[in-house]
Amino acid sequence: MPAKGEKFIIPIGPQHPALKEPGHFEFSVDGEMVTSASLRLGYVHRGIEKGTEGRNWVQALYLLERICGICSHVHATAYCLGVERLAGVEAPPRAQAIRSLVGELERIHSHLLWLGVAAHEAGFDMLFMHSWRDREVVMNLLEGFTGNRVNYSANVLGGVKCDIDARQTDAIVKGLEYLEDRTHHYLEVVTSDIMFLRRTRGIGVMTKDVAEKLGVVGPTARASGVARDVRVNAPYAAYDRYPVKLITATAGDLEARFIVRVQELFETYRVIRAILADLPEGELTVRMPRRIKEGETISRVEAPRGELFYFIKSNGSDTAERVKVRTPTLPNMASVLTLAVGHQLADMPMILTGIDPCFSCNDRMIVVRDEAGQASAWTWDDLRQYGIETYR
Amino acid sequence: MSAVIALVIFPGGVCILLAGMLYEWFDRKLVARFQDRIGPRWFQPLADTVKLLAKEEVVPDGVNGQLFFVLPVIALAGAMTAALYVPVFGLAPSFSFSGDLIATIYMLSLLTLCMGLAGANTLNRFSLLGATRTLTQLFSYEAPFLLALLGPAIVAGSWRISAIADYAADHWLILTQPIGFAVALIGLMGKLELPPFDAPEAETEIVAGALTEYSGRGLALFHLGKGVELVVGLTLVAAFYLGGVANPLAFFVKTLVILLGLAGLQALFTRLRIEQTVGLWWRYGALLVLVQFLALIVWEGWVA
Repeated sequence: MPAKGEKFIIPIGPQHPALKEPGHFEFSVDGEMVTSASLRLGYVHRGIEKGTEGRNWVQALYLLERICGICSHVHATAYCLGVERLAGVEAPPRAQAIRSLVGELERIHSHLLWLGVAAHEAGFDMLFMHSWRDREVVMNLLEGFTGNRVNYSANVLGGVKCDIDARQTDAIVKGLEYLEDRTHHYLEVVTSDIMFLRRTRGIGVMTKDVAEKLGVVGPTARASGVARDVRVNAPYAAYDRYPVKLITATAGDLEARFIVRVQELFETYRVIRAILADLPEGELTVRMPRRIKEGETISRVEAPRGELFYFIKSNGSDTAERVKVRTPTLPNMASVLTLAVGHQLADMPMILTGIDPCFSCNDRMIVVRDEAGQASAWTWDDLRQYGIETYR
Repeated sequence: MSAVIALVIFPGGVCILLAGMLYEWFDRKLVARFQDRIGPRWFQPLADTVKLLAKEEVVPDGVNGQLFFVLPVIALAGAMTAALYVPVFGLAPSFSFSGDLIATIYMLSLLTLCMGLAGANTLNRFSLLGATRTLTQLFSYEAPFLLALLGPAIVAGSWRISAIADYAADHWLILTQPIGFAVALIGLMGKLELPPFDAPEAETEIVAGALTEYSGRGLALFHLGKGVELVVGLTLVAAFYLGGVANPLAFFVKTLVILLGLAGLQALFTRLRIEQTVGLWWRYGALLVLVQFLALIVWEGWVA
């Protein structure tokens, strides 16, 4: 037991049952009450940004798609849109519509996955198991459509790989009917189950001011009343043709985050039906040059977790000079530390999961500068030597 | 000789351990089916136990080694001793004395106390927090649970379990004491740290709570103890409230029906935070059962 005045710190991570990916949180607690929180990220830095510099434009697409196992399609979409803009090429309308279609199907599976994980963190395994069972429906649809359950590779530079036929349209429409029915049930559960509401209502309240100050994105921001959605603010792919209605809530607590995400599912079903009803005819791809002319661009898309930001720079060769990715978890992570203080330890997993974190997506190399502003960098040989000495 | 057999083989000893594992499997399987999962095979608890017993037991730094070793044994012994005083398998209790109801309830609490001590014995922060929660929860459900089991004792006019069971065999006390039945049932869930009362071992917060540092033999014994306690608790509730367990058929039917209800409740609810658990018990559970208890005393004293 700590001496008087010392803090009792509960470490969550890097290995912990509440975390599906490694991150390290330290919560100082007074009894059950959290008095301060700190965070360390970077356990799953994979060097993907650097990796793109050694690959050509096409190869980098498949690498970038693997940044996130859940929202892989939006990464590919953001990259393709950026590179196509640099090359001065535009994908055909049918390809853009299919990009949006897969993106929305992916949103369904991501939101259902989140619903299950968040329910599990609250100890409500019934909702966890049932929502994941229903998620299989949309996974099967995606597999039937693109050939893969995750990392669909629907995008190629200049268009999409897979076309949709009447049989697949029927399957999707049928699947959506079932999912919509289930989603009504889930909305009822998260808004009326008294035991569940005791764990979500009024917990982790983030006001609109705080949300704007922290630069929170995605459903987390929309649950606090911030009207921020790239699909609405700056439509990409086919979202100008099939407009999305912005879903917001004002409460800013965990319940609002549940409601916003579940209601977004309804909006997603509507958009998918609109796309299927009015799919433009035409080609799937246009020809892309092998070398992209010099220039730089940014590309923003709305991932299920919020705004996904790509910066792409080309030096005129067949390789990207720099690809910089900012995933939505990074801006949202600050809100966890802010909201944690004053809540009970039991609420921590819920508050953390409330932002739908994806650790490996957001881990980047950090350069630490000392007080004199000097950063020390290790070369590859230094790292190798260090590894050999450490694990000898 | 028959006393030794009762202690070691039947109905205590080996048989109660097997029954504990069987009931644990039934509970897990039911919850799994409610959640639309397949669930474990019937021998899974036995396989888990054998596997754990075969594994190395890691004694962490900074613990009192003797205490670490002996606590699981005491916990299991307490639960198994309690089984000797209740009509398990629909047979008359192996041993009986006046006031054995109190002794049995104490034996059942021994498991929880040992888990609390086991958590507090280690330096692990999850264990310490889990131990605090385990003991906090003990203080919230214990009094209402005791009162709920004393209700039948008052109307039966005896604190001897066999006498109460005989009385309850002719009277379905669930009809006259519904609050007592509900509190006893939910108290049993609290005792066994089943959802929604699993804050002391909430894995998304504190890993495995008080038992985080236990592995191998110690963990297996604690698990066995919980299984035995489940059987004993179900037997008590069935014998007192559901018209007694006069024969093996009635025993299995009634206890498994209660277990079906318990599994349903486990699947239905979200985990309560520890302060919500305490609030629930002292604001509603304890008061309701106390009111019923006083009403019973008044009824027995003046009316009957």
